[in-house]
Amino acid sequence: MASSKASIDGNINVTDDIMDDAMDDYMSMTIPESPSNLTQFETSVQRRGRKRREAESRAHQASKAELAHQARLNRDEALNTSLPVSSKGYQMMARLGFKAGSALGKEGNQQARKEPLGVFVKEGRAGVGMDRERKRKFEDDTDRGEGIQKRQTEAVFRERQAREREQKRAEGLCWGAMRVLEEFESDDTTTDKDKADKGENAGSSTSKATTAINVLWRELVKDRDEKERLRRMRYDLQQTLSRSTAHDDPDEEKQDRQAWGTEEEEIEVQDPELDDFNRLEPAERLRRMVEYLRENWRYCFWCKFQYPDGRMEGCPGVTENEHG
Amino acid sequence: MADRRPDLEDGGRPVKRLRTEDSDPKTNPYLAHMYQDQPDDSGYNTGYSNGYGHGNGVKLKPEGRSASSTGFGKMPRHQTTADMARRAEDGPNNPFSGQPLSKKYLGILNTRRGLPVHAQRDEFLKMYQKSQILIFVGETGSGKTTQIPQFVLFDDQPHIQRKLVACTQPRRVAAMSVAQRVADEMDVKLGEEVGYNIRFEDVTGPKTILKYMTDGMLLREAMNDNDLKRYSTIILDEAHERTLATDTLMGLLKEVVQRRPDLKIVVMSATLDAQKFQSYFNDAPLLAVPGRTHPVEIFYTQAPERDYVEAALRTVLQIHATEPEGDILLFLTGEEEIEDACRKINLEVDEMIREVDAGPLKVYPLYGTLPPMQQQRIFDPAPTSRIPGGRPGRKCIVSTNIAETSLTIDGIVYVVDPGFSKQKVYNPRIRVESLLVSAISKASAQQRAGRAGRTRPGKCFRLYTEDAFKKELIETTYPEILRSNLSSTVLDLKKLGIDDLVHFDLMDPPAPETLMRALEELNYLACLDDDGELTALGQLASEFPLDPALAVMLISSPEFYCSNEILSLTALLSVPQIFVRPASARKRADEMKALFAHPDGDHLTMLNVYHAFKSPPAQENPKQWCHEHFLSLRALQSADNVRLQLKRIMESREVELVSTPFEDKKYYENIRRALVAGFFMQVAMKDAGSKTYVTIKDNQNVLLHPSTVLQTEGEWLVYNEFVLTTKNFVRTVTTVKAEWLLDIAPNYYDLSTFTKGPVKSALERAVQKIRRKDAQKSQYSKK
Repeated sequence: MASSKASIDGNINVTDDIMDDAMDDYMSMTIPESPSNLTQFETSVQRRGRKRREAESRAHQASKAELAHQARLNRDEALNTSLPVSSKGYQMMARLGFKAGSALGKEGNQQARKEPLGVFVKEGRAGVGMDRERKRKFEDDTDRGEGIQKRQTEAVFRERQAREREQKRAEGLCWGAMRVLEEFESDDTTTDKDKADKGENAGSSTSKATTAINVLWRELVKDRDEKERLRRMRYDLQQTLSRSTAHDDPDEEKQDRQAWGTEEEEIEVQDPELDDFNRLEPAERLRRMVEYLRENWRYCFWCKFQYPDGRMEGCPGVTENEHG
Repeated sequence: MADRRPDLEDGGRPVKRLRTEDSDPKTNPYLAHMYQDQPDDSGYNTGYSNGYGHGNGVKLKPEGRSASSTGFGKMPRHQTTADMARRAEDGPNNPFSGQPLSKKYLGILNTRRGLPVHAQRDEFLKMYQKSQILIFVGETGSGKTTQIPQFVLFDDQPHIQRKLVACTQPRRVAAMSVAQRVADEMDVKLGEEVGYNIRFEDVTGPKTILKYMTDGMLLREAMNDNDLKRYSTIILDEAHERTLATDTLMGLLKEVVQRRPDLKIVVMSATLDAQKFQSYFNDAPLLAVPGRTHPVEIFYTQAPERDYVEAALRTVLQIHATEPEGDILLFLTGEEEIEDACRKINLEVDEMIREVDAGPLKVYPLYGTLPPMQQQRIFDPAPTSRIPGGRPGRKCIVSTNIAETSLTIDGIVYVVDPGFSKQKVYNPRIRVESLLVSAISKASAQQRAGRAGRTRPGKCFRLYTEDAFKKELIETTYPEILRSNLSSTVLDLKKLGIDDLVHFDLMDPPAPETLMRALEELNYLACLDDDGELTALGQLASEFPLDPALAVMLISSPEFYCSNEILSLTALLSVPQIFVRPASARKRADEMKALFAHPDGDHLTMLNVYHAFKSPPAQENPKQWCHEHFLSLRALQSADNVRLQLKRIMESREVELVSTPFEDKKYYENIRRALVAGFFMQVAMKDAGSKTYVTIKDNQNVLLHPSTVLQTEGEWLVYNEFVLTTKNFVRTVTTVKAEWLLDIAPNYYDLSTFTKGPVKSALERAVQKIRRKDAQKSQYSKK
């Protein structure tokens, strides 16, 4: 407990590269490696154990079924990804007047395809209509109370995918906006009278209780604190050879772990305000942040420019669309 | 036209005399009664040119021709009628060759006149004469493929223009057999007035006026003659099949007709979507000839089938047990499935005959790779009842969708349709081109059902529900152009002088990504430059009737001192599978294959087979030798033929033919390097710690196809095909080295274009290795 507390208090210098790493992670939308690695309290023995397990998993020959599954996932993903406009082929076509999103052939041919035909591999000898029949039966069985679910058409699926992509993008933009916000709020050199009103937020945000930070970018601070805390914890562990409480026993009760001191201490126990905020759609969160930036800092997130006065002359509008 | 033949009037007279004399009853006994005058044979026997001598007539008024006139003297070009043509056909001498007509001819003539298209000959001629483009719809069996080109000949008279009439066919076999049939019908020798031209085989001569050819061949000709000036009329047959070449030709002809107002086009289709053709060809007139069909009753199943093959067998047996006389046609998807079904039906029928006294049932398989002799057997008559008055015998044909439109089998009364066929798919995103079992279209299902009504009212059993028919089946099958890799087509189009590939007016333009991929591939193969213009290599590659990758491999092979070997290999890769693996003798077949196996891969193994095949002991009795070694004689012979044709092209283009001495330890290495020169985009790398491979750039997990002989498990390999089944396979593989890839295809293996991952690191290691080697070398040389 003491050590984790210390890590928070001691976390004074947030190095830029750590922050950048965090940002890069989110912007690139990659899935972070197994979170257990980050949240586990690790001793040398544990580390040895982990290393051994990792080596084992590396040496583990994936079963044929696993491989086949992976191959199929890979294939489906590739099939759903259109070719990049960076390809030489695209450039040659562009020279002939092709525009992304249009079709080939005589202009005005509405029936011309824009997407390649899908690839469906039929498995087994089920007759025509059997797959749908099975699906229908399955849905009947599972959702008897709610009745038959509507068959998900391709269009619905595509729509959902597009929505998910959009959300992911908005999520990434949110992190960007939070970063901008924090920069403004924590940068003393830009202090003006607007800033004075919000003065309480200035300074190193990590040195005070996170709940005091504006909810708009509290997540960013919290996330960074968390990473830093874990980093320090691991660092401390490596330094402290005396700790011999290494346990990696899955049967171990929670209370035991707390008694051993290996149980994670929850720092931010409750933050209903942040939870509420995070429950909003990413687009909405983004909208609020953009608005905040405009009102308080005369900064347009889309123009990436801080205007000299409140009229913000030259900025086309509040939404991304207006910025083309 | 008239001025061309000063002897016209003289030529016209013997015709009349010909008709007035009755001196040749031996040749024309059936027509003897029609002659009013003594014919003068000499008028015709002077041959070809004299026969043509009558071709004129624009000046002659229709009322000027006498009832007994024949030949072309009284047949003004593009003003003829069915009546005139009929009289010319009646002889007594062949209006084209001038030879007396044979007995056989006259027999066939009667049959021909009973064909449905003959009823509308006048209507056809009127529309043909009026319009530059004509759409003709006639079902299979209406006689359109054999008759329409002849109708055209009598009206278009290409011999007078010194031009030809071309009739395209999607399939080689069809082009050959139809040409033979029409040569018989016209009473001429195949290869003279009527000929055919398919890839690697040209059976035409200076006299040829009607040429059946594959659509691909006409496209090739257009490359050297963009306006197709040799032809006065082009007939695109079986256009509904929408092959890649037919679609490309249609796009091209749409442009050519504007440049050549004298060229006539007839587009023939067997199916319903004729309106689509009409609107594509600027609302060209349409003529439909009803087929001679009977009503077909359609049955659906109550519920979807768990196993369509099993359901199909059950249905066939049930028909045999309960339905009256009539043959059965069952549609399945592929060779293996068909052979298996045939075996099972035979077993069951034997039992039925023993136990319930059923009639005899003969089962015949039918699929594209079946030897022609065996394909012919489907026309054998059905077996007769074993005892007089007993249960009727019948035949059952188990076929792929080749029996759907392209082959007509009379006597079929029952059709069993499980609703599947194997269809080619191509996806530019992972560059896979494969045959996959897919549900057929509604149009296909209708076509299949129609096969039951050829001789009398029939029945079609669809092994799916009516609901599934309505909701699961697409309207029409996707044309091939949407399901193919287009790199070959793009090269062709470039050669055809079409520069704006983006706006080229195709009936169904493919997805932009397909074109994108094709252009990119051709650019990496150095056939197109960065501006999309044909390079010298591209020009040369388009001379070969091969995929661009194969052509480039062949052209660059002299650099690797193995063009003789690569030539053989290219031929082997262009023909069907050379290895035979019958279900009854798989083990033995595998043992035989192992005799030829080369540890480095399948390409080299195929080459070993070819060399063994060409050796004196094998050539002593090739049939026996192939049989013993489980090899397909047909495939090897056709590879031999393809090789010869390609060799001629190489010689004419001065591509050197060289070999590395067999004793040289680099003999096989050189061949493997040459493979890389063409197939560097079809490379897979071994995945560390498992048996799988990953394709380069597309990062697809693939397995080696079980048929491979590869034993060394090299880290890198080139593959000929990426096939999809429930697993991803690469087929026909040979190991290569990363250094070769970097050396031979530096543009494609530009490391900056690779994403981080095992492939990139492996290539980086190879780069390091090359650098170290170079450094060592330079050190040595300094010392």
